[in-house]
Amino acid sequence: MRQGRSRVWAWGVSMHILIMEDDVAAAEAMMKGLRDSGYEVSHAADGEAGLALARQGGFDVLVVDRMMPKQDGLTVVSTLRREDDRTPVLFLSALGEIDDRVTGLKAGGDDYLVKPYAFAELIARVEALSRRRETGGVSTTLKLGELEMDLIARTVHRAGKEIDLQPREFQLLEFLIRHAGQSVTRTMLLEKVWEYHFDPQTNVIDVHISRLRGKIDKGFDHPMLQTVRGAGYRLDA
Amino acid sequence: MRLPALVRTTPFRLTLLFMALFATAAAALLAYIYLATAGEVTRRADQDVGREISSLQAIYARAGVTGLNQGLVERTSDERRFLYLLMSPEAKPITGNIAMTPVDPPGSEAKAIFRISATDPDGGVTHHRAYGRQVRLGGGELLFVGADIAEGDGYVVRTVRALWGAGVLIILLGMAGGFMVSRNVSRSLAGLKAVVASVEAGDLKARAPVRGVNDEYDDLARGLNAMLDRVERLMGGLRHAGDAIAHDLRSPLTRLRSRLEAALIEVEGGRADATESLSQALADTDGVLTTFNAVLAISRLQAAGQIPNPQTFDPSELCAGLAELYGALCEDRDLEFSAELSKGLRVRGDRDFVGQAMANLLDNAVKYTPPGGAVMLRVRKRSSGDVEFSVTDTGPGVPDEDRERIVERFVRLENSRSLPGSGLGLSLVRAVAEAHGGRLDIDEGPGVVKAGFGPGLRTALILPAV
Repeated sequence: MRQGRSRVWAWGVSMHILIMEDDVAAAEAMMKGLRDSGYEVSHAADGEAGLALARQGGFDVLVVDRMMPKQDGLTVVSTLRREDDRTPVLFLSALGEIDDRVTGLKAGGDDYLVKPYAFAELIARVEALSRRRETGGVSTTLKLGELEMDLIARTVHRAGKEIDLQPREFQLLEFLIRHAGQSVTRTMLLEKVWEYHFDPQTNVIDVHISRLRGKIDKGFDHPMLQTVRGAGYRLDA
Repeated sequence: MRLPALVRTTPFRLTLLFMALFATAAAALLAYIYLATAGEVTRRADQDVGREISSLQAIYARAGVTGLNQGLVERTSDERRFLYLLMSPEAKPITGNIAMTPVDPPGSEAKAIFRISATDPDGGVTHHRAYGRQVRLGGGELLFVGADIAEGDGYVVRTVRALWGAGVLIILLGMAGGFMVSRNVSRSLAGLKAVVASVEAGDLKARAPVRGVNDEYDDLARGLNAMLDRVERLMGGLRHAGDAIAHDLRSPLTRLRSRLEAALIEVEGGRADATESLSQALADTDGVLTTFNAVLAISRLQAAGQIPNPQTFDPSELCAGLAELYGALCEDRDLEFSAELSKGLRVRGDRDFVGQAMANLLDNAVKYTPPGGAVMLRVRKRSSGDVEFSVTDTGPGVPDEDRERIVERFVRLENSRSLPGSGLGLSLVRAVAEAHGGRLDIDEGPGVVKAGFGPGLRTALILPAV
């Protein structure tokens, strides 16, 4: 764990997460984990309290349980969206109905995580959502250290040397570079790069990562694409 | 105040409403007929009186006051058809069969409706309505002629009476009809009400009687019964799902528990590292969760019996992604991978579930085919129009007699026990197939292709044509 390191905005305020979860034990574990990762965390134990807190503003990500007393998560989020609050929302759901994910996203959620989840998965998704706001403006090139991607010409260079990538490898690298410095899990890659919402038993993603690694890291002085044990992968400068 | 049950029924209330509407309409009709008839009586009297006045004026013109006077005396002596009164210019009576003019003021030319008394042959006195007109003659004398309109009035009264009678009769018949209709409706609904009450009390087996007359109550009863059939099936499915989950999770949880217990003893005795034991326990928990998710998905699909929000999608597009995902994996494991995907097909269902099913079939093929073998993914339209997603491998295959069994939950054949897997992969594929109204076919693969390979296995998810 990156204990003690604080996740901060450019002007030095640490990122603030609001957790709406009625299961106190689960909420406490989540809060501890997020605080250890450098986030500031607030907690609401029911939908009404959560909505009231969220309305005060100042949160970077809302983690919302679907089923809560007083007001359920869907209602809370759709209320916030109606009030034009665009704070990214990560829905948590106990194994629900077959089409739960779709209803969650329709209500205005940005991402969806089914309970029980691996903690690394939660952190990775919260991290991805909290960063999303920072990237303002549409740029046609992405840069990370020696690595440069041209999104229009679909070319990739590392230290000036052109790297030939397959279309899917290009998408994979684009996702990693947009989330540079964050752990991304295999499930996230499967969902966001391949747009598949199911779990293959074999780790099909690993093969693709190792191919990409072979192309962007082989023959260079330091590896950029890291494997994060128990979590997934991370692209660093 | 509580009204009797019958009065509270909708048909009875509707009947009352219609009765009220009818009564209003009848009253309006009555009023119209009365006004029309009564007016007609006066109009006719006016015509008669007018003619009489003309004829009297002719006598006056011919014979003067004296002639008229004589004529009037003659007329009044015969028959009492008209009422006459001849007056001097100062309105003093000269001749006539009434004592004074009912016109007011007596010296004016006007029309009047007035009452007269008549003596019946048996001595009783009756009052009649009469109509009259008064004119001034050439020499200034006043002539009044009136007519008894009792006969016309009698007609009006009889008509009105008849109408009242008919109205009352109709209202009585309507009430009786309403009463019968309500009773009939109440009887027809009684069976349905009884079923609703039984179901509410928890008896899902109750069914409404269908009387076989094919009216709307029978339709309703059939609809209700069909709904209850479905509810009962779903409830059964859910109960079965619950039992299955409890049963399926007991053994992996028991295994996890004993491993944790063993690890605790080892760690306490200093023979094992706590971190390693915890990692192992975490991995085991993940295994239980995977099993749990698969069992739940299977049970839900089986209980629902259909896909909740079906969408139409292109199977070749879904499989192209899978081909790419698994193609790389096959290459990594020294398996020859090929994909044959027919374009432009349409499938209706849940893309994620079909994707999961295909991933399971591909996982199996990759898992059981030794390096050097081949895996093929194919999407095509069958001659029946159904869409077939198939995965063929050159692994050892499954003996004919075991093919039915491997689809059952947790059934794993001897030679596969050492490989990872929950034993639920094919069960989920079949649940997905059935929820889409399709099926899972398992056949032999391409046969023995070379030494050590084959006969292989061909698994196919077949979904009905859109």
